[in-house]
Amino acid sequence: MVFTSLVNFARSKGPDEFWRKRKIFKLAAHFVGRKRNCYSIAIRYVHRALVYATTGRKLKKQDMAQLWETRLAAACEEHGFTSPLMKESLSRNNILLNRKSLVELAIWEPRTYQGLTSIAWQKAIEDNIEGIKDLQPPPESLTKK
Amino acid sequence: MSNSHLFLPSGFPRAVLQNGLGRYICQLQRITIKFCKHHGASRGVRNFIENDLVDFARNHPGIVVYLKPRRHRSPVLSAEYLNGDKDYVCCHNFTVEEVRKWMSVLRTQQSGQTIRYRKMWHTDHPSIQGVWSPFTNKPPHINLETFPSENLSSAHPGPTATQLLLDMYNAEIEKQKKESEGGDNRE
Repeated sequence: MVFTSLVNFARSKGPDEFWRKRKIFKLAAHFVGRKRNCYSIAIRYVHRALVYATTGRKLKKQDMAQLWETRLAAACEEHGFTSPLMKESLSRNNILLNRKSLVELAIWEPRTYQGLTSIAWQKAIEDNIEGIKDLQPPPESLTKK
Repeated sequence: MSNSHLFLPSGFPRAVLQNGLGRYICQLQRITIKFCKHHGASRGVRNFIENDLVDFARNHPGIVVYLKPRRHRSPVLSAEYLNGDKDYVCCHNFTVEEVRKWMSVLRTQQSGQTIRYRKMWHTDHPSIQGVWSPFTNKPPHINLETFPSENLSSAHPGPTATQLLLDMYNAEIEKQKKESEGGDNRE
């Protein structure tokens, strides 16, 4: 018995179907279960993964900026200073360090950071930058030259 | 895009056993060149063997070079490293120049393993002044404190609501005084 009608049920989209689907399967290699092996399921999750990757690029930058801002504020508060004053005073002193560098110094070189805070404080007092009057007077360790 | 689909291990740039700090030791232990004596795909490799192989072996006495002529197969450079892992480069239809370059790549590699660099730098001493700890910026006299301690145990509540209202009232009074004085001065 030869079943000739079974051949009609095979749906082949063309000669490049294997390679077209391979592109998707390669991106889904680390998925779990049928998402990794079945094309029509994998394609949905691969598209979703690509969308997450695209939005994630922007979110990563936002997250890092938020983290640096939090850490800078914490580092300034330890010395009794504020982060907007710190940024303003340092830029007026032509010390053009971004939040990332300031935070790295605060973590790995805390004494250097203390020195930067003292420079910023003196400049803020000299120039009478907005916000300096709300602070307590600088501690002795920061006023030594 | 996350590269988890590559299943690549990750790490930092390191030198095997601080290689280069003292004497540089070539990490390539032996290299096996498999080629066909007749097929055209091995032409580049054959030319390399004829022209450059002896110089290579002479210049790098620490690397053992094996030649394996294998009929009807693609040419391959198979490298084994001192840490035990292997790497191979298929040289099918390569030019002599390409074979030379890949030989120098295998020679200068540390190991056959490729990793994803998490950072493009590494240091064993990230901090000179000492890493921040919660006690870094605190006054050292708190170390000499004996417990129970009165001044550390006391609560420090902020100004009470009554106090805040009184402060606001006094500030208003002073403001009005100044305005009336200023008006008097103008007259």
